[in-house]
Amino acid sequence: MVYVKWIIRAALLLLAIAFFHYTLPQTDIARVTDTYEKRIDFGENSIFWAAPDVGNDETLSNRDVFFIQTVRTDGRVMVYRNEDTGWGWPPYFKFDTSNLQAEASDLKSTVEAPKWVAIRHYGWRNEFLSIFPNAFSVREVAGPDASTGVPWLNIGIIAGFVALLLAIRALWRRFRAGRIDPVMEDIGEGWDAAGDAVSKRRGRVRAWLDTWKPKHKR
Amino acid sequence: MAALARLVVIGFVVLTIIYFCLSLYSRSVRKGKLEEWYEEAGRPGDRDAYIDAGLKEYEGSLRRKLIWGVYVVPVVIIAVIIYFTNFH
Repeated sequence: MVYVKWIIRAALLLLAIAFFHYTLPQTDIARVTDTYEKRIDFGENSIFWAAPDVGNDETLSNRDVFFIQTVRTDGRVMVYRNEDTGWGWPPYFKFDTSNLQAEASDLKSTVEAPKWVAIRHYGWRNEFLSIFPNAFSVREVAGPDASTGVPWLNIGIIAGFVALLLAIRALWRRFRAGRIDPVMEDIGEGWDAAGDAVSKRRGRVRAWLDTWKPKHKR
Repeated sequence: MAALARLVVIGFVVLTIIYFCLSLYSRSVRKGKLEEWYEEAGRPGDRDAYIDAGLKEYEGSLRRKLIWGVYVVPVVIIAVIIYFTNFH
Protein backbone atom coordinates (compact mmCIF):
# COMPACT_ATOMS: atom_id res chain seq x y z
CA MET A 1 0.00 0.00 0.00
CA VAL A 2 2.88 2.33 0.70
CA TYR A 3 4.05 1.88 -2.92
CA VAL A 4 0.58 2.57 -4.32
CA LYS A 5 0.44 5.80 -2.33
CA TRP A 6 3.80 6.95 -3.62
CA ILE A 7 3.02 5.95 -7.22
CA ILE A 8 -0.21 8.00 -7.11
CA ARG A 9 1.65 10.96 -5.60
CA ALA A 10 4.42 10.75 -8.20
CA ALA A 11 1.83 10.57 -11.02
CA LEU A 12 0.02 13.66 -9.70
CA LEU A 13 3.30 15.54 -9.34
CA LEU A 14 4.31 14.57 -12.88
CA LEU A 15 0.92 15.72 -14.18
CA ALA A 16 1.30 19.09 -12.42
CA ILE A 17 4.82 19.56 -13.80
CA ALA A 18 3.70 18.64 -17.32
CA PHE A 19 0.72 21.00 -17.07
CA PHE A 20 2.86 23.96 -16.02
CA HIS A 21 5.63 23.11 -18.49
CA TYR A 22 3.07 23.14 -21.30
CA THR A 23 1.09 26.20 -20.21
CA LEU A 24 3.62 28.67 -18.80
CA PRO A 25 5.57 30.94 -21.16
CA GLN A 26 9.15 30.25 -22.19
CA THR A 27 11.61 32.27 -24.24
CA ASP A 28 13.81 30.87 -27.02
CA ILE A 29 16.57 32.69 -28.85
CA ALA A 30 16.29 31.76 -32.50
CA ARG A 31 16.58 32.97 -36.09
CA VAL A 32 13.42 33.16 -38.21
CA THR A 33 14.04 31.46 -41.54
CA ASP A 34 10.55 31.48 -42.98
CA THR A 35 6.89 31.95 -42.23
CA TYR A 36 4.02 30.11 -43.87
CA GLU A 37 0.44 28.98 -43.39
CA LYS A 38 -0.87 25.47 -43.81
CA ARG A 39 -4.32 23.89 -43.76
CA ILE A 40 -4.68 21.71 -40.65
CA ASP A 41 -7.27 18.95 -40.28
CA PHE A 42 -7.51 18.47 -36.54
CA GLY A 43 -7.58 14.87 -35.36
CA GLU A 44 -6.36 13.13 -32.23
CA ASN A 45 -4.10 16.11 -31.56
CA SER A 46 -6.94 18.66 -31.58
CA ILE A 47 -6.49 19.38 -27.86
CA PHE A 48 -3.02 20.75 -28.60
CA TRP A 49 -4.36 23.40 -30.99
CA ALA A 50 -5.85 26.68 -29.89
CA ALA A 51 -8.77 28.59 -31.38
CA PRO A 52 -9.53 30.15 -34.77
CA ASP A 53 -9.02 33.90 -34.98
CA VAL A 54 -11.52 35.64 -32.71
CA GLY A 55 -14.72 36.51 -34.53
CA ASN A 56 -14.40 33.71 -37.08
CA ASP A 57 -16.51 30.56 -37.27
CA GLU A 58 -15.46 28.21 -34.47
CA THR A 59 -17.36 25.15 -35.64
CA LEU A 60 -15.30 24.21 -38.71
CA SER A 61 -13.20 21.03 -38.50
CA ASN A 62 -10.22 22.47 -40.36
CA ARG A 63 -8.60 25.81 -41.04
CA ASP A 64 -5.35 27.47 -42.09
CA VAL A 65 -2.78 27.97 -39.34
CA PHE A 66 0.23 30.30 -39.42
CA PHE A 67 3.66 28.79 -38.75
CA ILE A 68 7.07 30.31 -38.00
CA GLN A 69 10.15 28.31 -38.97
CA THR A 70 13.28 29.00 -36.96
CA VAL A 71 16.79 27.78 -36.26
CA ARG A 72 17.81 27.80 -32.59
CA THR A 73 21.20 28.92 -31.31
CA ASP A 74 22.35 25.28 -31.09
CA GLY A 75 21.67 24.85 -34.83
CA ARG A 76 18.55 22.70 -34.39
CA VAL A 77 15.32 23.75 -36.02
CA MET A 78 12.08 24.61 -34.26
CA VAL A 79 8.71 25.28 -35.84
CA TYR A 80 6.18 27.39 -33.97
CA ARG A 81 2.51 27.72 -34.71
CA ASN A 82 0.94 31.14 -34.48
CA GLU A 83 -2.67 30.96 -33.37
CA ASP A 84 -5.11 33.11 -31.42
CA THR A 85 -5.87 31.81 -27.97
CA GLY A 86 -8.72 34.33 -27.83
CA TRP A 87 -10.86 34.18 -24.70
CA GLY A 88 -10.10 30.50 -24.10
CA TRP A 89 -7.43 28.39 -22.42
CA PRO A 90 -4.51 29.02 -21.88
CA PRO A 91 -5.32 32.58 -20.74
CA TYR A 92 -2.86 34.53 -22.88
CA PHE A 93 -5.71 36.50 -24.50
CA LYS A 94 -3.83 36.59 -27.77
CA PHE A 95 -5.74 38.25 -30.61
CA ASP A 96 -2.92 39.65 -32.72
CA THR A 97 -1.95 36.52 -34.65
CA SER A 98 -1.79 38.21 -38.04
CA ASN A 99 0.27 41.10 -36.67
CA LEU A 100 2.71 38.65 -35.08
CA GLN A 101 3.05 36.85 -38.40
CA ALA A 102 3.86 40.17 -40.08
CA GLU A 103 6.51 40.95 -37.42
CA ALA A 104 8.03 37.48 -37.74
CA SER A 105 8.17 37.78 -41.54
CA ASP A 106 9.89 41.13 -41.15
CA LEU A 107 12.61 39.51 -38.99
CA LYS A 108 13.48 36.74 -41.48
CA SER A 109 17.20 36.25 -41.96
CA THR A 110 19.76 33.95 -43.57
CA VAL A 111 22.74 32.03 -42.21
CA GLU A 112 25.10 34.58 -43.76
CA ALA A 113 23.42 37.60 -42.21
CA PRO A 114 21.69 36.27 -39.06
CA LYS A 115 19.15 38.36 -37.12
CA TRP A 116 18.49 36.86 -33.70
CA VAL A 117 15.11 37.14 -32.06
CA ALA A 118 13.63 36.18 -28.69
CA ILE A 119 10.46 34.15 -29.24
CA ARG A 120 8.02 33.92 -26.33
CA HIS A 121 5.85 30.86 -26.59
CA TYR A 122 4.04 28.15 -24.68
CA GLY A 123 3.49 24.51 -25.59
CA TRP A 124 5.48 21.58 -26.89
CA ARG A 125 6.87 20.39 -30.19
CA ASN A 126 6.14 16.71 -30.69
CA GLU A 127 6.74 15.03 -34.02
CA PHE A 128 4.67 11.94 -33.21
CA LEU A 129 1.55 14.01 -32.51
CA SER A 130 2.35 16.81 -34.99
CA ILE A 131 2.00 19.48 -32.33
CA PHE A 132 3.79 22.82 -32.17
CA PRO A 133 4.46 25.44 -29.49
CA ASN A 134 2.34 28.56 -29.94
CA ALA A 135 4.40 31.75 -30.27
CA PHE A 136 2.92 34.98 -28.88
CA SER A 137 5.71 37.50 -29.24
CA VAL A 138 8.91 38.06 -31.22
CA ARG A 139 11.44 40.80 -30.65
CA GLU A 140 14.90 41.35 -32.03
CA VAL A 141 17.84 40.80 -29.66
CA ALA A 142 21.53 41.68 -29.88
CA GLY A 143 22.87 38.22 -30.60
CA PRO A 144 22.61 34.49 -29.97
CA ASP A 145 23.97 34.96 -26.41
CA ALA A 146 21.20 37.38 -25.41
CA SER A 147 19.73 36.70 -21.97
CA THR A 148 16.18 35.41 -21.77
CA GLY A 149 15.78 36.98 -18.32
CA VAL A 150 14.61 35.56 -15.03
CA PRO A 151 11.14 34.00 -15.43
CA TRP A 152 9.56 35.97 -12.56
CA LEU A 153 6.05 35.36 -13.84
CA ASN A 154 6.51 31.59 -13.85
CA ILE A 155 8.13 31.66 -10.40
CA GLY A 156 5.23 33.74 -9.09
CA ILE A 157 2.54 31.50 -10.59
CA ILE A 158 4.13 28.26 -9.33
CA ALA A 159 4.75 29.78 -5.88
CA GLY A 160 1.10 30.88 -5.79
CA PHE A 161 -0.06 27.39 -6.78
CA VAL A 162 2.09 25.75 -4.06
CA ALA A 163 0.82 28.29 -1.49
CA LEU A 164 -2.78 27.49 -2.49
CA LEU A 165 -2.14 23.74 -2.09
CA LEU A 166 -0.57 24.26 1.34
CA ALA A 167 -3.50 26.44 2.42
CA ILE A 168 -6.01 23.79 1.32
CA ARG A 169 -3.96 21.13 3.14
CA ALA A 170 -3.92 23.18 6.34
CA LEU A 171 -7.69 23.76 6.11
CA TRP A 172 -8.31 20.05 5.50
CA ARG A 173 -6.12 19.04 8.47
CA ARG A 174 -7.93 21.48 10.75
CA PHE A 175 -11.29 20.20 9.51
CA ARG A 176 -10.20 16.58 10.08
CA ALA A 177 -8.85 17.28 13.56
CA GLY A 178 -12.03 19.16 14.51
CA ARG A 179 -14.78 17.13 12.83
CA ILE A 180 -13.67 13.68 11.70
CA ASP A 181 -11.14 12.45 14.27
CA PRO A 182 -13.50 12.85 17.28
CA VAL A 183 -16.18 10.80 15.48
CA MET A 184 -13.64 8.12 14.59
CA GLU A 185 -12.46 8.01 18.22
CA ASP A 186 -16.08 7.59 19.35
CA ILE A 187 -16.52 4.67 16.99
CA GLY A 188 -13.21 3.18 18.15
CA GLU A 189 -14.22 3.45 21.80
CA GLY A 190 -17.56 1.85 20.96
CA TRP A 191 -15.78 -1.11 19.37
CA ASP A 192 -13.45 -1.49 22.35
CA ALA A 193 -16.38 -1.42 24.76
CA ALA A 194 -18.23 -4.03 22.68
CA GLY A 195 -15.10 -6.20 22.61
CA ASP A 196 -14.73 -6.01 26.40
CA ALA A 197 -18.37 -6.93 26.93
CA VAL A 198 -18.09 -9.94 24.62
CA SER A 199 -14.96 -11.28 26.30
CA LYS A 200 -16.54 -10.82 29.75
CA ARG A 201 -19.62 -12.75 28.67
CA ARG A 202 -17.51 -15.44 27.07
CA GLY A 203 -15.65 -15.74 30.36
CA ARG A 204 -18.92 -16.33 32.15
CA VAL A 205 -20.12 -18.90 29.59
CA ARG A 206 -16.81 -20.73 29.78
CA ALA A 207 -16.96 -20.74 33.57
CA TRP A 208 -20.43 -22.30 33.40
CA LEU A 209 -19.27 -24.91 30.84
CA ASP A 210 -16.29 -25.67 33.00
CA THR A 211 -18.59 -26.66 35.86
CA TRP A 212 -19.47 -29.80 33.81
CA LYS A 213 -15.84 -30.83 33.59
CA PRO A 214 -14.10 -32.84 36.20
CA LYS A 215 -12.32 -30.63 38.69
CA HIS A 216 -8.76 -31.42 37.58
CA LYS A 217 -9.51 -30.32 33.92
CA ARG A 218 -10.96 -26.88 34.68
CA MET B 1 -18.22 35.76 -29.24
CA ALA B 2 -19.34 32.39 -27.85
CA ALA B 3 -15.92 31.97 -26.21
CA LEU B 4 -16.15 35.41 -24.58
CA ALA B 5 -19.67 34.63 -23.34
CA ARG B 6 -18.44 31.35 -21.86
CA LEU B 7 -15.54 33.09 -20.10
CA VAL B 8 -17.80 35.81 -18.70
CA VAL B 9 -20.53 33.43 -17.50
CA ILE B 10 -18.20 30.83 -15.92
CA GLY B 11 -15.99 33.56 -14.47
CA PHE B 12 -19.01 35.34 -12.99
CA VAL B 13 -20.36 32.16 -11.39
CA VAL B 14 -16.98 31.14 -9.90
CA LEU B 15 -16.19 34.65 -8.63
CA THR B 16 -19.69 34.96 -7.12
CA ILE B 17 -19.16 31.74 -5.16
CA ILE B 18 -15.78 33.04 -3.94
CA TYR B 19 -17.35 36.42 -3.13
CA PHE B 20 -20.09 34.92 -0.95
CA CYS B 21 -17.74 32.51 0.85
CA LEU B 22 -15.33 35.35 1.57
CA SER B 23 -18.12 37.69 2.78
CA LEU B 24 -19.48 35.08 5.18
CA TYR B 25 -15.98 34.23 6.43
CA SER B 26 -15.02 37.88 6.91
CA ARG B 27 -18.26 38.58 8.78
CA SER B 28 -17.74 35.61 11.09
CA VAL B 29 -14.18 36.74 11.82
CA ARG B 30 -15.48 40.21 12.69
CA LYS B 31 -18.18 38.69 14.91
CA GLY B 32 -15.55 36.67 16.80
CA LYS B 33 -13.48 39.82 17.28
CA LEU B 34 -16.50 41.77 18.51
CA GLU B 35 -17.14 39.05 21.11
CA GLU B 36 -13.49 39.44 22.23
CA TRP B 37 -13.71 43.23 22.31
CA TYR B 38 -16.91 43.02 24.35
CA GLU B 39 -15.07 41.07 27.05
CA GLU B 40 -12.02 43.37 26.88
CA ALA B 41 -14.19 46.51 27.19
CA GLY B 42 -15.54 45.16 30.46
CA ARG B 43 -18.96 44.01 29.16
CA PRO B 44 -20.55 47.40 28.35
CA GLY B 45 -24.31 46.88 28.35
CA ASP B 46 -26.19 44.20 26.42
CA ARG B 47 -23.90 41.73 24.60
CA ASP B 48 -26.15 41.14 21.54
CA ALA B 49 -26.78 44.86 21.11
CA TYR B 50 -23.01 45.50 21.26
CA ILE B 51 -22.31 42.86 18.60
CA ASP B 52 -25.21 43.98 16.35
CA ALA B 53 -23.98 47.58 16.48
CA GLY B 54 -20.43 46.42 15.66
CA LEU B 55 -21.65 44.35 12.70
CA LYS B 56 -23.72 47.27 11.41
CA GLU B 57 -20.60 49.42 11.52
CA TYR B 58 -18.71 46.65 9.70
CA GLU B 59 -21.31 46.64 6.87
CA GLY B 60 -20.30 50.19 5.95
CA SER B 61 -16.57 49.70 6.47
CA LEU B 62 -13.78 49.78 3.91
CA ARG B 63 -12.84 46.18 4.75
CA ARG B 64 -16.32 45.05 3.67
CA LYS B 65 -16.02 46.99 0.39
CA LEU B 66 -12.56 45.56 -0.32
CA ILE B 67 -14.19 42.15 -0.89
CA TRP B 68 -15.48 43.57 -4.20
CA GLY B 69 -11.84 43.13 -5.24
CA VAL B 70 -12.79 39.51 -5.91
CA TYR B 71 -14.49 40.84 -9.07
CA VAL B 72 -12.20 43.78 -9.78
CA VAL B 73 -8.77 42.10 -9.55
CA PRO B 74 -9.33 39.35 -12.19
CA VAL B 75 -10.81 41.86 -14.65
CA VAL B 76 -7.79 44.15 -14.17
CA ILE B 77 -5.39 41.21 -14.58
CA ILE B 78 -7.12 40.17 -17.82
CA ALA B 79 -6.96 43.75 -19.13
CA VAL B 80 -3.23 43.93 -18.31
CA ILE B 81 -2.55 40.56 -20.01
CA ILE B 82 -4.48 41.68 -23.11
CA TYR B 83 -2.43 44.87 -23.25
CA PHE B 84 0.93 43.15 -22.87
CA THR B 85 0.14 40.27 -25.26
CA ASN B 86 -1.33 42.33 -28.07
CA PHE B 87 -0.33 45.99 -27.84
CA HIS B 88 3.04 46.14 -26.10
